[in-house]
Amino acid sequence: MNHRSIDDNLPHYFFIFCALITTFIAVYFIGFIFYTAAPVLFGKGLINFLTGTVWNYNDGIYGVRIFIIGTLVMTAMSLTLAVPVSVFTAIFLSEYAPQKIASAIRPFIELLVGIPSVVYGIFGLLVLENFFQYYLDPLINMFSFIPIFADLTPSRGNGVFLASSVLAIMILPTIASLSEDAMRSVPSEYREASFALGSTQWETIRKVVLPSASGGILSATILGMMRAMGETMAIVMLLGNVAHVPGSILDTGYAMTSKILNDIGYYSAMDEPRSALFAVAAVLFTMEIIFVAAARRIGGRL
Amino acid sequence: MNRRKVEGFIFKNISYAAVTLTLVILFFILGRITWEAIPSLSLENIFTSESESKGFGGGLANAIVGTIILSLGSTLLATPFAVGTAIYLKKYAKKGRIVSFFSFMLDVMSGTPSIVLGIFGLLFLVYILRTVTGGFSMISGIIALAILILPVLERATEVAIDTVPHELEHASYALGANKWETIRHITIPYALNGILTGFVLSVGRAAEESAVVILTAGYSQFMPEFKIAASDKLIFGVKVYPFQDLIAALPITVYHAFEFPHMVDRSESFAAAFVLIAIVMILNALARFFVWRRRIG
Repeated sequence: MNHRSIDDNLPHYFFIFCALITTFIAVYFIGFIFYTAAPVLFGKGLINFLTGTVWNYNDGIYGVRIFIIGTLVMTAMSLTLAVPVSVFTAIFLSEYAPQKIASAIRPFIELLVGIPSVVYGIFGLLVLENFFQYYLDPLINMFSFIPIFADLTPSRGNGVFLASSVLAIMILPTIASLSEDAMRSVPSEYREASFALGSTQWETIRKVVLPSASGGILSATILGMMRAMGETMAIVMLLGNVAHVPGSILDTGYAMTSKILNDIGYYSAMDEPRSALFAVAAVLFTMEIIFVAAARRIGGRL
Repeated sequence: MNRRKVEGFIFKNISYAAVTLTLVILFFILGRITWEAIPSLSLENIFTSESESKGFGGGLANAIVGTIILSLGSTLLATPFAVGTAIYLKKYAKKGRIVSFFSFMLDVMSGTPSIVLGIFGLLFLVYILRTVTGGFSMISGIIALAILILPVLERATEVAIDTVPHELEHASYALGANKWETIRHITIPYALNGILTGFVLSVGRAAEESAVVILTAGYSQFMPEFKIAASDKLIFGVKVYPFQDLIAALPITVYHAFEFPHMVDRSESFAAAFVLIAIVMILNALARFFVWRRRIG
């Protein structure tokens, strides 16, 4: 008896220990980022840091606005491209396709997840850039009477549009497979009831399946958005890295993640520039934490 | 045809077009990478390290070995903590504030942008702890990657534990087993396939990561080798290769085509990409096999 009660308590303490270590790592990691960022993030005024447009190491002026806008424009653009395609792919897999075809196609879509982001980057850089410069960009430029479609950099193919297209391909499988799960979990009785009332298949999908699955689709979209915002390697290669607010969807830009990766190698040993780069990371991290909280509120698991 | 049928017809075709587009993109990407990779994809390239082939680039063996060491090592390091945390949260912890705080922290960790983890590794592991880790080194890379995949593996373990039928555990309690005996003899064996699936997927996740690796493990043209050399910069006065030495990884080899566009042949970087995708796909197929075995077993 005595032997067994020790036997039962010891594992208990071990598992508590594991959970505490894991949580300690998470808290320490978050604390470390904000502690290192504090001198610039809070020391020079949070508002100045967030809204400033000048980033100069020599003068010690750090404003992150251009990079935040770059990240947001690029993320919004890639969601615009990815969400319709992936939701309709999910509709096909869960509603239209016969069981056999759907389970034959699903592994292929999951293959897209298995392609590393640096490979997407190199693919966009070496294969897609020429194609965008000579074919797609001039095509979109035909709509240049609307300012956001004007090609401001005809001599190069990289920019917001190329980066977002590649990002859209990267996040497409995530959104598609999670939305499909959400649509599948809608009980088939709902659909049958809708058919019995005389609605067509599309009406059933639009008025019954999509509303019931909307929570799952939304949290899938948030997950895809977080992945797009946090992406580094592909964006460094494709966005152009020109520090200005993109004038159109074909213009170049600069994202927060690329700023960190491009500069950290040169400034990691200097206190203030390093703190500034950590402050960029802290802002990015705060955005992600907000989205995680939102996704949890909606009920999606990450 | 009335308006409702036309609408149904249009949207049905849109969803067919969407799935076709997705598949076309997939096959275009994979096909093009293979096509570009073929000229420099030979057994000789795969089995010689970069230091032994002429000039810059060429051999891939150092990067392949490095990727395998980093991804396996980091997953092995993360496994006890991830599995232990999952068992604690699922079996021991009472539902409440603390548990929801733990699980929020895990969600935040799994949503962390890799570059944020990368600069944490650069400053904390490579710079502050440089006397222990040896700066850019295998240890730094393994620790940083372990933090990256810990939440992935923890989530997979939780899902696997959820699949264990409660009847089995109740039966075990009814036979007089205590909690630990039930976990050891019922829960873990039953969930093992799911945990293995998570393990394999985590190895794949670690293998494809580049931003963290480039900031913590650096890059080396040489194969990892075992030796011990004196070094007054490190804590015990010795540098233990390969643990405290730079190590290569395939994603970094791919990245070189962007970093040094005039020195690396584009075909060589696509060859590295091809090998990397092949490794990740083999791992995914392995995970799929475990899922399949669970379904029939």
